[in-house]
Amino acid sequence: MSTTRLQEVQICFGFGKQADIATANLVAAMWRLKKLNAQLATPKLNTENDVAEYGKGHEFATTTFKTSWDIAGTLEKYLSAEMAAWAMCFGLGKVVKSGSTPNFIYTCTPLIPSNGDATELPYFSFVEQIRPGAGVVLDRMEVGCGVEAWTIMVGSGPGRANSKITVEFHGSGKLTEPSAISMPAATVEKLLPSASLALAINGVDYVTNKNIVSLETSWKNNIKMDAGFFPGSGFQTPGDATTGAVRGRLEFGDRQGTLKFTARFDNNSTELTKLKAQTTGTATIVLQFDANNSLSITWQKVSFATAEVGETDQFVTVAVECTPIYDATNGIITAVAKCGVDGICQ
Amino acid sequence: MDKVWMTPPFGAGEPKEVDATPEVLGPLMVAGWSQCEPPAKNQEVTTHVDD
Repeated sequence: MSTTRLQEVQICFGFGKQADIATANLVAAMWRLKKLNAQLATPKLNTENDVAEYGKGHEFATTTFKTSWDIAGTLEKYLSAEMAAWAMCFGLGKVVKSGSTPNFIYTCTPLIPSNGDATELPYFSFVEQIRPGAGVVLDRMEVGCGVEAWTIMVGSGPGRANSKITVEFHGSGKLTEPSAISMPAATVEKLLPSASLALAINGVDYVTNKNIVSLETSWKNNIKMDAGFFPGSGFQTPGDATTGAVRGRLEFGDRQGTLKFTARFDNNSTELTKLKAQTTGTATIVLQFDANNSLSITWQKVSFATAEVGETDQFVTVAVECTPIYDATNGIITAVAKCGVDGICQ
Repeated sequence: MDKVWMTPPFGAGEPKEVDATPEVLGPLMVAGWSQCEPPAKNQEVTTHVDD
Protein backbone atom coordinates (compact mmCIF):
# COMPACT_ATOMS: atom_id res chain seq x y z
CA MET A 1 0.00 0.00 0.00
CA SER A 2 1.38 3.38 -0.96
CA THR A 3 1.59 6.29 1.41
CA THR A 4 1.82 9.99 0.81
CA ARG A 5 4.32 12.21 2.51
CA LEU A 6 3.19 15.75 3.15
CA GLN A 7 6.41 17.09 1.64
CA GLU A 8 4.78 16.33 -1.70
CA VAL A 9 2.22 19.06 -1.23
CA GLN A 10 2.60 21.95 -3.61
CA ILE A 11 0.84 25.24 -3.26
CA CYS A 12 0.26 28.13 -5.57
CA PHE A 13 -1.89 31.17 -5.13
CA GLY A 14 -2.80 34.39 -6.83
CA PHE A 15 -0.23 37.15 -6.76
CA GLY A 16 -2.68 39.07 -8.87
CA LYS A 17 -6.05 39.86 -7.34
CA GLN A 18 -9.27 38.23 -8.48
CA ALA A 19 -11.73 40.31 -10.48
CA ASP A 20 -14.30 39.61 -7.75
CA ILE A 21 -14.82 37.16 -4.91
CA ALA A 22 -16.26 34.42 -7.13
CA THR A 23 -13.92 34.67 -10.13
CA ALA A 24 -10.82 32.53 -9.70
CA ASN A 25 -7.33 33.67 -10.57
CA LEU A 26 -5.95 32.46 -13.87
CA VAL A 27 -2.70 30.53 -13.60
CA ALA A 28 -0.85 33.40 -15.28
CA ALA A 29 -1.49 35.48 -12.17
CA MET A 30 -0.49 32.73 -9.72
CA TRP A 31 2.86 31.81 -8.24
CA ARG A 32 4.20 28.72 -6.57
CA LEU A 33 6.08 29.23 -3.32
CA LYS A 34 7.38 26.93 -0.62
CA LYS A 35 6.18 27.08 2.97
CA LEU A 36 7.28 25.87 6.38
CA ASN A 37 4.10 24.65 8.02
CA ALA A 38 2.45 21.30 7.37
CA GLN A 39 -1.07 22.56 7.93
CA LEU A 40 -3.40 22.31 4.94
CA ALA A 41 -6.18 24.76 4.13
CA THR A 42 -8.81 22.09 4.50
CA PRO A 43 -12.36 23.11 3.58
CA LYS A 44 -14.96 22.41 6.24
CA LEU A 45 -18.52 21.55 5.27
CA ASN A 46 -21.09 22.57 7.87
CA THR A 47 -24.27 20.51 7.95
CA GLU A 48 -27.58 20.52 9.77
CA ASN A 49 -30.41 18.03 10.11
CA ASP A 50 -34.11 17.75 10.88
CA VAL A 51 -33.82 16.62 14.53
CA ALA A 52 -35.80 19.61 15.80
CA GLU A 53 -38.62 19.30 13.29
CA TYR A 54 -42.05 17.89 14.21
CA GLY A 55 -44.03 15.47 12.09
CA LYS A 56 -41.55 12.61 11.97
CA GLY A 57 -42.96 10.63 14.90
CA HIS A 58 -39.59 10.52 16.69
CA GLU A 59 -36.76 12.73 17.82
CA PHE A 60 -34.11 11.40 15.48
CA ALA A 61 -32.69 12.86 12.30
CA THR A 62 -34.09 11.52 9.06
CA THR A 63 -32.16 13.72 6.67
CA THR A 64 -29.18 16.08 6.59
CA PHE A 65 -28.55 19.31 4.74
CA LYS A 66 -25.38 20.97 3.52
CA THR A 67 -25.42 24.40 5.17
CA SER A 68 -22.23 26.22 4.31
CA TRP A 69 -18.50 25.99 3.71
CA ASP A 70 -15.62 27.38 5.73
CA ILE A 71 -12.02 27.66 4.60
CA ALA A 72 -9.05 28.83 6.64
CA GLY A 73 -5.35 28.46 6.07
CA THR A 74 -1.97 29.54 7.35
CA LEU A 75 1.25 30.14 5.48
CA GLU A 76 4.42 30.17 7.50
CA LYS A 77 7.48 31.20 5.53
CA TYR A 78 10.94 32.59 5.71
CA LEU A 79 10.47 36.27 4.96
CA SER A 80 11.20 37.12 1.35
CA ALA A 81 10.78 40.29 -0.66
CA GLU A 82 8.12 38.61 -2.79
CA MET A 83 6.09 37.27 0.13
CA ALA A 84 6.43 40.52 2.02
CA ALA A 85 5.07 42.46 -0.95
CA TRP A 86 2.18 40.03 -1.31
CA ALA A 87 1.29 40.10 2.38
CA MET A 88 1.39 43.90 2.56
CA CYS A 89 -0.72 44.33 -0.60
CA PHE A 90 -3.38 41.75 0.24
CA GLY A 91 -3.26 42.29 4.00
CA LEU A 92 -3.52 46.07 4.07
CA GLY A 93 -5.63 46.33 0.94
CA LYS A 94 -4.73 49.65 -0.68
CA VAL A 95 -1.87 49.52 -3.14
CA VAL A 96 -0.06 51.90 -5.46
CA LYS A 97 2.35 50.22 -7.85
CA SER A 98 5.30 52.07 -9.31
CA GLY A 99 8.75 51.24 -10.63
CA SER A 100 9.73 48.86 -13.38
CA THR A 101 11.75 45.70 -13.92
CA PRO A 102 13.59 44.65 -11.78
CA ASN A 103 12.41 47.06 -9.15
CA PHE A 104 8.66 47.14 -8.72
CA ILE A 105 7.55 49.18 -5.74
CA TYR A 106 4.32 48.52 -3.90
CA THR A 107 3.24 51.24 -1.50
CA CYS A 108 0.53 49.89 0.77
CA THR A 109 -1.82 51.38 3.35
CA PRO A 110 -4.97 50.11 5.03
CA LEU A 111 -8.29 50.82 3.36
CA ILE A 112 -10.15 53.76 4.92
CA PRO A 113 -13.87 53.39 4.09
CA SER A 114 -14.75 56.83 5.46
CA ASN A 115 -12.55 58.26 2.72
CA GLY A 116 -14.22 56.25 0.00
CA ASP A 117 -12.22 53.01 0.14
CA ALA A 118 -13.75 49.55 -0.08
CA THR A 119 -14.64 47.47 2.97
CA GLU A 120 -13.62 44.27 1.19
CA LEU A 121 -10.00 43.22 0.89
CA PRO A 122 -8.54 42.06 -2.43
CA TYR A 123 -9.23 38.39 -3.13
CA PHE A 124 -6.94 35.61 -4.31
CA SER A 125 -7.28 31.91 -5.16
CA PHE A 126 -5.31 29.27 -3.25
CA VAL A 127 -4.37 25.90 -4.75
CA GLU A 128 -3.12 22.78 -2.95
CA GLN A 129 -2.03 19.73 -4.91
CA ILE A 130 -0.55 16.33 -4.12
CA ARG A 131 0.00 14.21 -7.24
CA PRO A 132 -2.63 15.89 -9.40
CA GLY A 133 -3.86 13.86 -12.34
CA ALA A 134 -4.49 10.12 -12.53
CA GLY A 135 -2.96 9.34 -9.12
CA VAL A 136 -4.41 12.35 -7.40
CA VAL A 137 -4.26 12.59 -3.64
CA LEU A 138 -5.30 16.20 -3.34
CA ASP A 139 -6.14 18.81 -5.95
CA ARG A 140 -8.30 21.74 -5.02
CA MET A 141 -8.58 25.47 -5.50
CA GLU A 142 -10.13 27.72 -2.92
CA VAL A 143 -11.58 30.79 -4.58
CA GLY A 144 -12.18 34.14 -2.95
CA CYS A 145 -9.64 34.12 -0.13
CA GLY A 146 -8.68 37.18 1.90
CA VAL A 147 -5.77 37.81 4.23
CA GLU A 148 -6.92 37.73 7.85
CA ALA A 149 -3.55 38.58 9.42
CA TRP A 150 0.18 38.76 8.91
CA THR A 151 2.92 38.59 11.50
CA ILE A 152 6.60 39.30 10.92
CA MET A 153 9.11 38.03 13.44
CA VAL A 154 12.77 39.02 13.49
CA GLY A 155 15.15 37.40 15.94
CA SER A 156 18.83 37.24 16.76
CA GLY A 157 20.95 34.70 14.95
CA PRO A 158 22.29 33.96 11.49
CA GLY A 159 19.78 31.39 10.23
CA ARG A 160 16.80 31.96 7.96
CA ALA A 161 14.49 31.15 10.86
CA ASN A 162 15.34 34.50 12.41
CA SER A 163 13.24 36.33 9.84
CA LYS A 164 9.84 34.81 9.24
CA ILE A 165 6.35 35.74 8.21
CA THR A 166 3.08 34.02 9.04
CA VAL A 167 -0.03 34.80 7.01
CA GLU A 168 -3.48 33.62 8.00
CA PHE A 169 -6.25 33.68 5.43
CA HIS A 170 -9.94 32.91 5.18
CA GLY A 171 -11.87 31.75 2.18
CA SER A 172 -15.34 32.48 0.89
CA GLY A 173 -16.00 28.73 0.93
CA LYS A 174 -15.97 28.49 -2.84
CA LEU A 175 -14.10 25.37 -3.89
CA THR A 176 -13.01 23.98 -7.26
CA GLU A 177 -12.09 20.27 -7.32
CA PRO A 178 -10.03 19.33 -9.24
CA SER A 179 -8.39 22.71 -9.48
CA ALA A 180 -7.66 22.49 -13.24
CA ILE A 181 -4.50 24.44 -12.48
CA SER A 182 -1.14 23.34 -13.91
CA MET A 183 1.24 24.18 -11.12
CA PRO A 184 3.55 27.01 -12.31
CA ALA A 185 7.33 26.81 -11.91
CA ALA A 186 8.50 27.68 -8.43
CA THR A 187 9.22 31.36 -7.86
CA VAL A 188 12.74 32.05 -6.67
CA GLU A 189 12.44 34.22 -3.60
CA LYS A 190 14.88 36.80 -2.29
CA LEU A 191 15.16 36.46 1.46
CA LEU A 192 15.09 39.42 3.80
CA PRO A 193 17.39 38.23 6.58
CA SER A 194 17.54 39.40 10.16
CA ALA A 195 21.08 40.69 9.65
CA SER A 196 19.78 43.30 7.19
CA LEU A 197 17.50 44.96 9.74
CA ALA A 198 17.37 48.72 10.19
CA LEU A 199 15.15 49.76 13.07
CA ALA A 200 14.25 53.11 14.55
CA ILE A 201 11.50 53.39 17.13
CA ASN A 202 10.43 56.53 18.92
CA GLY A 203 13.68 58.32 18.18
CA VAL A 204 16.07 55.48 18.96
CA ASP A 205 18.12 53.63 16.34
CA TYR A 206 18.21 50.17 17.87
CA VAL A 207 20.56 48.69 15.27
CA THR A 208 23.20 51.43 15.44
CA ASN A 209 23.31 51.13 19.21
CA LYS A 210 23.40 47.30 18.85
CA ASN A 211 20.64 46.85 21.40
CA ILE A 212 17.87 45.09 19.49
CA VAL A 213 17.28 41.46 20.44
CA SER A 214 14.03 40.63 18.65
CA LEU A 215 10.88 42.19 17.31
CA GLU A 216 7.45 41.19 16.15
CA THR A 217 4.97 43.25 14.22
CA SER A 218 1.57 42.24 12.97
CA TRP A 219 -1.65 43.28 11.33
CA LYS A 220 -5.04 41.63 11.81
CA ASN A 221 -8.14 42.36 9.75
CA ASN A 222 -10.68 40.52 11.92
CA ILE A 223 -12.70 39.59 8.86
CA LYS A 224 -16.44 39.45 9.54
CA MET A 225 -16.98 35.87 8.46
CA ASP A 226 -20.67 35.61 9.38
CA ALA A 227 -21.47 38.78 7.46
CA GLY A 228 -20.28 37.01 4.33
CA PHE A 229 -23.57 35.12 4.24
CA PHE A 230 -26.24 37.54 3.12
CA PRO A 231 -29.44 36.87 1.20
CA GLY A 232 -28.23 36.02 -2.27
CA SER A 233 -24.62 35.34 -1.30
CA GLY A 234 -24.68 32.19 -3.42
CA PHE A 235 -24.00 28.46 -3.30
CA GLN A 236 -21.06 26.16 -3.82
CA THR A 237 -22.56 25.26 -7.18
CA PRO A 238 -24.28 28.36 -8.55
CA GLY A 239 -28.02 27.87 -8.70
CA ASP A 240 -27.97 24.60 -6.71
CA ALA A 241 -29.37 25.24 -3.21
CA THR A 242 -28.41 21.74 -2.05
CA THR A 243 -24.66 22.38 -2.31
CA GLY A 244 -24.26 24.68 0.69
CA ALA A 245 -23.96 28.46 0.91
CA VAL A 246 -20.75 30.33 0.27
CA ARG A 247 -19.85 33.84 1.28
CA GLY A 248 -20.42 36.71 -1.11
CA ARG A 249 -18.08 39.13 0.65
CA LEU A 250 -15.23 39.19 3.15
CA GLU A 251 -15.26 42.52 4.94
CA PHE A 252 -12.66 43.53 7.45
CA GLY A 253 -13.79 44.24 11.01
CA ASP A 254 -11.99 46.25 13.67
CA ARG A 255 -8.39 46.09 12.53
CA GLN A 256 -5.45 45.86 14.88
CA GLY A 257 -1.76 46.53 14.47
CA THR A 258 0.90 45.48 16.91
CA LEU A 259 4.59 46.15 17.42
CA LYS A 260 6.61 44.44 20.15
CA PHE A 261 10.34 44.38 20.62
CA THR A 262 12.99 43.34 23.10
CA ALA A 263 16.17 45.40 23.44
CA ARG A 264 19.13 45.43 25.76
CA PHE A 265 18.65 47.86 28.61
CA ASP A 266 21.36 50.01 30.16
CA ASN A 267 21.80 53.34 31.88
CA ASN A 268 21.18 55.27 28.66
CA SER A 269 18.03 53.41 27.72
CA THR A 270 14.95 55.59 27.42
CA GLU A 271 12.12 53.08 27.23
CA LEU A 272 10.88 53.53 30.80
CA THR A 273 11.11 57.30 30.55
CA LYS A 274 9.14 57.27 27.31
CA LEU A 275 6.58 54.94 28.82
CA LYS A 276 5.98 57.32 31.71
CA ALA A 277 5.89 60.38 29.46
CA GLN A 278 3.83 58.56 26.79
CA THR A 279 6.20 59.98 24.23
CA THR A 280 5.12 59.38 20.66
CA GLY A 281 7.18 58.91 17.53
CA THR A 282 7.43 56.82 14.38
CA ALA A 283 8.62 53.25 14.21
CA THR A 284 10.40 52.22 11.02
CA ILE A 285 11.40 48.64 10.25
CA VAL A 286 13.49 47.94 7.15
CA LEU A 287 14.67 44.56 5.88
CA GLN A 288 16.60 44.27 2.65
CA PHE A 289 18.00 41.73 0.21
CA ASP A 290 19.37 44.37 -2.15
CA ALA A 291 18.38 47.75 -3.53
CA ASN A 292 15.59 46.18 -5.57
CA ASN A 293 14.21 43.79 -2.97
CA SER A 294 13.21 45.09 0.43
CA LEU A 295 10.44 45.79 2.88
CA SER A 296 9.96 49.00 4.82
CA ILE A 297 7.18 49.23 7.39
CA THR A 298 6.42 52.53 9.07
CA TRP A 299 4.09 52.75 12.02
CA GLN A 300 3.30 56.42 11.71
CA LYS A 301 2.98 57.12 15.42
CA VAL A 302 3.53 54.84 18.39
CA SER A 303 3.69 55.17 22.13
CA PHE A 304 4.84 52.56 24.58
CA ALA A 305 2.01 50.63 26.25
CA THR A 306 4.26 48.49 28.42
CA ALA A 307 8.01 48.32 29.06
CA GLU A 308 9.17 45.54 31.34
CA VAL A 309 12.77 45.08 32.35
CA GLY A 310 13.86 41.46 32.34
CA GLU A 311 16.61 39.18 31.14
CA THR A 312 17.68 37.61 27.87
CA ASP A 313 20.69 35.28 27.90
CA GLN A 314 21.88 36.91 31.14
CA PHE A 315 21.74 40.43 29.73
CA VAL A 316 19.31 42.97 31.14
CA THR A 317 16.68 43.64 28.51
CA VAL A 318 13.46 45.56 28.19
CA ALA A 319 10.39 44.10 26.49
CA VAL A 320 8.29 46.84 24.97
CA GLU A 321 4.79 46.69 23.54
CA CYS A 322 3.85 49.67 21.43
CA THR A 323 0.44 51.15 20.79
CA PRO A 324 0.09 52.20 17.14
CA ILE A 325 -1.70 55.54 16.94
CA TYR A 326 -3.57 56.90 13.94
CA ASP A 327 -1.97 60.03 12.54
CA ALA A 328 -4.43 62.40 10.87
CA THR A 329 -2.14 62.94 7.87
CA ASN A 330 -0.16 59.73 7.51
CA GLY A 331 -2.63 57.20 8.88
CA ILE A 332 -1.60 54.20 10.93
CA ILE A 333 0.86 52.19 8.83
CA THR A 334 2.60 52.50 5.47
CA ALA A 335 4.47 49.60 3.93
CA VAL A 336 6.78 49.94 0.95
CA ALA A 337 7.70 46.60 -0.57
CA LYS A 338 10.14 46.24 -3.44
CA CYS A 339 10.62 43.11 -5.53
CA GLY A 340 11.11 41.97 -9.10
CA VAL A 341 7.61 40.58 -9.59
CA ASP A 342 5.19 42.70 -11.56
CA GLY A 343 1.43 42.76 -11.01
CA ILE A 344 1.14 41.90 -7.33
CA CYS A 345 -2.44 42.65 -6.28
CA GLN A 346 -3.12 44.28 -9.66
CA MET B 1 11.63 60.37 -10.31
CA ASP B 2 8.98 57.73 -10.87
CA LYS B 3 5.48 59.17 -11.07
CA VAL B 4 1.98 57.71 -10.80
CA TRP B 5 -1.51 58.99 -11.49
CA MET B 6 -3.92 59.24 -8.59
CA THR B 7 -7.65 59.86 -8.60
CA PRO B 8 -9.41 61.64 -5.70
CA PRO B 9 -11.88 59.93 -3.34
CA PHE B 10 -15.51 59.51 -4.38
CA GLY B 11 -14.52 60.48 -7.92
CA ALA B 12 -14.71 64.14 -6.93
CA GLY B 13 -12.12 66.02 -8.94
CA GLU B 14 -9.49 65.45 -11.55
CA PRO B 15 -6.70 62.87 -11.42
CA LYS B 16 -3.24 64.22 -10.83
CA GLU B 17 0.27 62.94 -11.43
CA VAL B 18 2.45 62.76 -8.32
CA ASP B 19 5.88 61.57 -7.29
CA ALA B 20 5.82 57.89 -6.37
CA THR B 21 7.43 58.33 -2.98
CA PRO B 22 5.99 57.14 0.33
CA GLU B 23 6.08 60.71 1.63
CA VAL B 24 3.78 61.86 -1.19
CA LEU B 25 1.69 58.72 -1.69
CA GLY B 26 1.03 57.88 1.97
CA PRO B 27 -1.02 60.96 2.89
CA LEU B 28 -2.88 60.82 -0.44
CA MET B 29 -3.77 57.15 0.02
CA VAL B 30 -4.93 57.78 3.58
CA ALA B 31 -7.07 60.66 2.30
CA GLY B 32 -8.81 58.33 -0.14
CA TRP B 33 -6.86 58.89 -3.32
CA SER B 34 -6.38 55.77 -5.46
CA GLN B 35 -4.06 54.90 -8.30
CA CYS B 36 -5.57 55.24 -11.75
CA GLU B 37 -4.59 55.00 -15.37
CA PRO B 38 -3.20 58.16 -16.97
CA PRO B 39 -6.01 60.17 -18.52
CA ALA B 40 -6.36 59.91 -22.28
CA LYS B 41 -4.57 62.77 -23.98
CA ASN B 42 -6.74 65.22 -25.86
CA GLN B 43 -6.18 64.92 -29.57
CA GLU B 44 -5.90 68.05 -31.60
CA VAL B 45 -8.39 67.79 -34.43
CA THR B 46 -7.51 69.55 -37.66
CA THR B 47 -10.06 69.68 -40.40
CA HIS B 48 -8.98 70.18 -43.96
CA VAL B 49 -11.65 71.34 -46.31
CA ASP B 50 -10.88 70.94 -49.95
CA ASP B 51 -12.81 73.08 -52.32
